[in-house]
Amino acid sequence: MFAAGGINGALGRALLLIGIVGSLFGAVAAITSARQRDQAVAKLVPRFAMLVFGASVGAFAVMEWAMITRDYSLAYVQKVGSNSTPALYNFAAVWSALEGSILMWVLILAGYTLAVAYWLRKKMDDVLSRYALGVMFIVSLFFFVLSFGPANPFGAGAPGVFDGPGPNPLLQNHLLVMFHPPLLYLGYVGMTVPFAFAIAALITGRVGEGWLLATRRWTLFAWGFLTLGIILGSWWSYEVLGWSGVWAWDPVENASLLPWITATAYIHSVLVQERRGMLRVWNLSLLVATFSLTILGTFLTRSGVLNSVHAFSESPIGPWLLAFFAVIVVVSVGLIGWRGDRLHSPGSIDSPLSREGAFLANNVLFSVFAFVVLLGTVFPLVVEALQDRTIIVGEPFFDRLTIPIGITMLTIMAIAPVLPWRKASQELLSTRLFWPAWCGVLALAGSVLVGATGFAPLLTFAMGGFAAGSALRQVVLATRRQGLRGLVGRANGGMIVHLGVIIISVALAASNSFTHSQELNLEVGKVASFSGHTFELVEVVEEKTERVFSVKARVIVDGGKAYAPAITRYLKQGMTVGTPSVRTGLASDVYLTLEPPIRPGSDTARIKVFIKPMLLWLWIGGGLMALGTVLAAFPGRRRKPTAPTSDDGVDDLLVKS
Amino acid sequence: MSNVASVKNKWTWLLLTLVAIALLVFGGTRDTGPKTQSDRIDAITKVIACPTCQGESVYVSRASAAESIRAEVARQVAGGQKTDDEIVAFMEARFGSRVLLVPRSTGLDALVWVLPVFALVCALGTLVFAFRRWSVSGSNTVSDADIEMVEQALRNAE
Repeated sequence: MFAAGGINGALGRALLLIGIVGSLFGAVAAITSARQRDQAVAKLVPRFAMLVFGASVGAFAVMEWAMITRDYSLAYVQKVGSNSTPALYNFAAVWSALEGSILMWVLILAGYTLAVAYWLRKKMDDVLSRYALGVMFIVSLFFFVLSFGPANPFGAGAPGVFDGPGPNPLLQNHLLVMFHPPLLYLGYVGMTVPFAFAIAALITGRVGEGWLLATRRWTLFAWGFLTLGIILGSWWSYEVLGWSGVWAWDPVENASLLPWITATAYIHSVLVQERRGMLRVWNLSLLVATFSLTILGTFLTRSGVLNSVHAFSESPIGPWLLAFFAVIVVVSVGLIGWRGDRLHSPGSIDSPLSREGAFLANNVLFSVFAFVVLLGTVFPLVVEALQDRTIIVGEPFFDRLTIPIGITMLTIMAIAPVLPWRKASQELLSTRLFWPAWCGVLALAGSVLVGATGFAPLLTFAMGGFAAGSALRQVVLATRRQGLRGLVGRANGGMIVHLGVIIISVALAASNSFTHSQELNLEVGKVASFSGHTFELVEVVEEKTERVFSVKARVIVDGGKAYAPAITRYLKQGMTVGTPSVRTGLASDVYLTLEPPIRPGSDTARIKVFIKPMLLWLWIGGGLMALGTVLAAFPGRRRKPTAPTSDDGVDDLLVKS
Repeated sequence: MSNVASVKNKWTWLLLTLVAIALLVFGGTRDTGPKTQSDRIDAITKVIACPTCQGESVYVSRASAAESIRAEVARQVAGGQKTDDEIVAFMEARFGSRVLLVPRSTGLDALVWVLPVFALVCALGTLVFAFRRWSVSGSNTVSDADIEMVEQALRNAE
């Protein structure tokens, strides 16, 4: 047993070392070949990408193997492994703590590096390609070193250990733990690719439009996964944490949201650069901000400076990440300053009431949004540093500031898609916005009719309807002229994404504003009712395995199926976790939790019931966003590269060239 | 678009706006009856932090400290003597400001409220400034540099 473990540890470290050497050589080869225009060396670069990827796959596989074979000679397996963890959760246990997460980061980053190298294989004679790969290698070098040194998952454990506690109980009671972290990382780490191209463009001075088109799809890919990862995380929170919420403005959640916000801003404002050649500095800054926020977010949440429910472990990687963040910011700002003259773009934006004007407004909002989230996340640190006292900036703060931002965004979302480039006339607007505005008023009337109250939710529903009308108008116009092809391409896929966002906004407003809850003391044989639903306790049963001891209350909802909220004690960790049970419905969810204390065999149980309107639509909206992203990634119809005169934005997309 | 149509349009827009405002005012201000005790407890526990956990609200947390605060809030709500704000103030007096989830608007803490507004004003100011500059320089004169750029592009295209 010990010998095998020793082999796993040694093998893992050897593979990480190969990754370090491969990244270093790859970076050197890419950059020297770019500086000296050496074709022969440039040809080697993709091979290093293969080597590095192979090393990362190997290291990850060794870690999985060690976890599956329960090799307790490794400290990491001692920490998160256990003989009684079911196979799937054991597989996912690899990324349930810091060291394994960094290893997964390494794996995904090496995958992206290889994918970029493959994509550029016929463009390696271009200096920009070499610099971009050089940047990818430097970033992957950093993460390999991080994994080899301060976040080493292959360190030897104490001898004589034959079992471990297993992963945190919260990470072993829902299947989503298999998907949420990898998808989130695909998004998070994917932001390295556009960053690498941004830096390469700055170094070569080719800050024109070419590289933007090239990297747009990479950004979209990463953005799509980040979106999916965030939504799956919310789903996990809802299904597992038992407070019936999807988002708590927890630092780790904020850390994933921040790059999402700046990337979303970029996806919009880059269109202005593509079309008009403007906003170059701004777009580069957004890409740099997105990437550096992934590093800063990891620093904030993994170094232990901020308290967080996600802080499953703390380790000495803080200074490393902070230093890396500083280097990224200094180098990027330095490069942007150095290339300042070339970044100055010709042209001007004629009118605020134009497509590009709307994109600017969008960017102002997204920047303020990002600022609010960042400020709220780090503000406790500032107060602690200056006045040595602890304060909390919690959910109410974020809600109060982000709801007005959200409503304004919906408004812009309603108007922007109908705006032409350059300049819009009032008549044009009044014609195009006519039906969308009716949709808004109808949505408002409908929500008032079903009893919705409060200005903020009503405004959200109204603006949601308005924006949905606007998005539908575009989709309908496009499909009417082009058939199913009218669903693909950036503009049309983008509108599907908008519809997803609108559905999510409406669902959030409804479920946050109109949730009702009640504690019910249920007795076997008696029917209790709340908010139009009936609840009947059938029995309180226990379930005992080597791993867990759980007590379930089986409750019949509305005379139909029985739901079983539970309280589960994870014996090895000595931790008790409540598991909710949810009846999902299109109109509202019935969310049940079992409240302690509870005794198996008892004929009474205290159940907390939450009625959550429209919650299911969050996931439907998320699915629509993912679908729209895929559709947007397909090439749409080609359009005229420049617009010499004021023209009609939407129709321009539809005219056959 | 003919004049008649656009005038008609104006009236429909006015009607639309009025209907929207009327619906908003009606829906936003109508009385939905007194809040239930449970809703009050939820609202209060959402702004109180659980003192033993890390940044979670009492509403969210399942820790025992949160349970006991929730029980105390429920007791005071049931007592019917205090308003929501008074109950929150009671909790602050008892546990200190570390149980407040909403930063105060005095002293250093006020910055967290002021800075976002400041950021918004700065961003909008920059935008206005940019539009001003564009409208001044937005003439369609062609500089020598522009001509040279176009010629170079044409040469490259050949």
